[in-house]
Amino acid sequence: MLEVNNLNSGYGKLQILYDLSIEAPGKGITVIVGPNGAGKTTLLSTVMGVAKYMSGDILFEDMPIQGKLTHELAKKGISYVPQMGNVFAELSVMDNLSMAGYLMPKEESKIKADQMTEIFPVLKKFIHRDAGTLSGGERRMLAIAMGLMKNPKLMLLDELSTDLAPIIAEKVMMEIARLRDELGITILMVEQMAKRALEIGDTAYLMVSGEIRYSGKASDLLHEPELCSMYLGIKTDSDQIADLTKPSIEGSD
Amino acid sequence: MAPWMASGLIYSSGLALTAGSITLLYIVTRTFNFAVASMATFGFYIAYTGISLYGGLPYQYYPLVFIFGSFLGIVCYFGLNRHLLRRQAAEITLMMSTLGYDLLLLSFIQMYADFLTHTYGLFPRRVTLNVHDFELFGERAAAIILPIVTILLLTLLHFFLTRTRFGVAMRATIENPVLSGASGINSDLVYMVSWVIAGGMASVGGAFMAMAMTGTPTMGMFTIPLMFAGAILGGLTSLYGGILGGFMIGMTEYAGIFYLSQQLGPWVLGYRMGIPLMLMAATLLLFPRGLAGIPLAKLINSLVGKKRGESA
Repeated sequence: MLEVNNLNSGYGKLQILYDLSIEAPGKGITVIVGPNGAGKTTLLSTVMGVAKYMSGDILFEDMPIQGKLTHELAKKGISYVPQMGNVFAELSVMDNLSMAGYLMPKEESKIKADQMTEIFPVLKKFIHRDAGTLSGGERRMLAIAMGLMKNPKLMLLDELSTDLAPIIAEKVMMEIARLRDELGITILMVEQMAKRALEIGDTAYLMVSGEIRYSGKASDLLHEPELCSMYLGIKTDSDQIADLTKPSIEGSD
Repeated sequence: MAPWMASGLIYSSGLALTAGSITLLYIVTRTFNFAVASMATFGFYIAYTGISLYGGLPYQYYPLVFIFGSFLGIVCYFGLNRHLLRRQAAEITLMMSTLGYDLLLLSFIQMYADFLTHTYGLFPRRVTLNVHDFELFGERAAAIILPIVTILLLTLLHFFLTRTRFGVAMRATIENPVLSGASGINSDLVYMVSWVIAGGMASVGGAFMAMAMTGTPTMGMFTIPLMFAGAILGGLTSLYGGILGGFMIGMTEYAGIFYLSQQLGPWVLGYRMGIPLMLMAATLLLFPRGLAGIPLAKLINSLVGKKRGESA
């Protein structure tokens, strides 16, 4: 579905990504994890025509899309939910949904917006309220609903769980899994909540300093104790056993 | 109506539109449009040409003035602004590019004035358009019609921005260009439309102002500080604030100069621009975000609360 080969990109003269290659297979969840500053958001931004593309290939359904404008990519069926500023705070929830369905005929957009309020009932309650007045969790729901409004083939999700209460973040993760399982949408997600993202993901990439350090099955990355503890702050089962058996410093002679 | 008030209303209506034009372009494209000066002057010359060659009232030429101003806006967008926006140029670069465009337009205005003289035997370098006005309810018609047209234009703009899909898309792009692009909104089109509207507003504003002041090839250049003062007073973040700011600046100039010249003598006339600029400075000292930053709801609530307290 999406193939990125030897991508170099950044912002202005600053290069962030170096010869980066990834693949997001169709109807699956591809998770990109890594420490802060690894270039995960830059990758999504470059695919979406926001960050500065320098060289390499970006193929969507085997067609090159590098250098295309953001609204042209939206027309091709790529939906992007940025980490920050993912809703129009000064517009009502209804206007947000309507803008997300901007490429559709007005009637179709209305029907789709109704569907979204059924999928995310919380939005129905606040349909005429400005999106800026919603809580963090409600905003994320609106952002996902906006992403879905476009009937996307591919969704790029950037750290949707950031700043959310664990229970809300879990709900968001379950919604993402449902998008793949029930709607067959291909998802490329960047996530800080690495453990949970790897649990629902199919393919995973670990990015460090603009380069790929791991690629493979998402669940297999959880069995790489060194990578997990060094870059993701995840304690694997073997780490926890080691912790329990380690003698405490105070108690040792 | 006192003559100063009639002239003030006419002039302020024009200034309101030019200040609104500056604000609109700034909030959509981050561009301080210096070319608003020459766009306004061209607006006056289009109305003047129409009246001089075909007769009639100035008002009937305003749609043509708007269209011509829009054309000037489109030329600026496709010729300069679009390329610079795509290269993510800094605000100062965007601003200086419009200054260059303004100087270019100014020389075209001079050429056009010469053309009118040589070809049609007109004297376009000092023109008073108000001689073509008529009386309405015992007042100068422009003093009634132009504020009404300004309010109508503002209302139309408000409906366009809040009730039409493209208008809401414009607001969305103003707030978050990346997300609007991801929603499939063509920001190019949004920027172009804002130049069309802003160019039209600036030219119509200039044609309005020429009903209260002498129209010259440099009228825009002399009034541009007040146009910007209006936009800055409005807070630069709100279109409605910009229009209100422009109107307030214009009225302050006329009212201030009238009262001060009565009190202090006619020498004050030389400092007429200083009065509205002082108002702007004082407002910004109290409310750094301009009129848009005045917590109106809070003020009204506290006033209503006080009155209730007094009556109790």
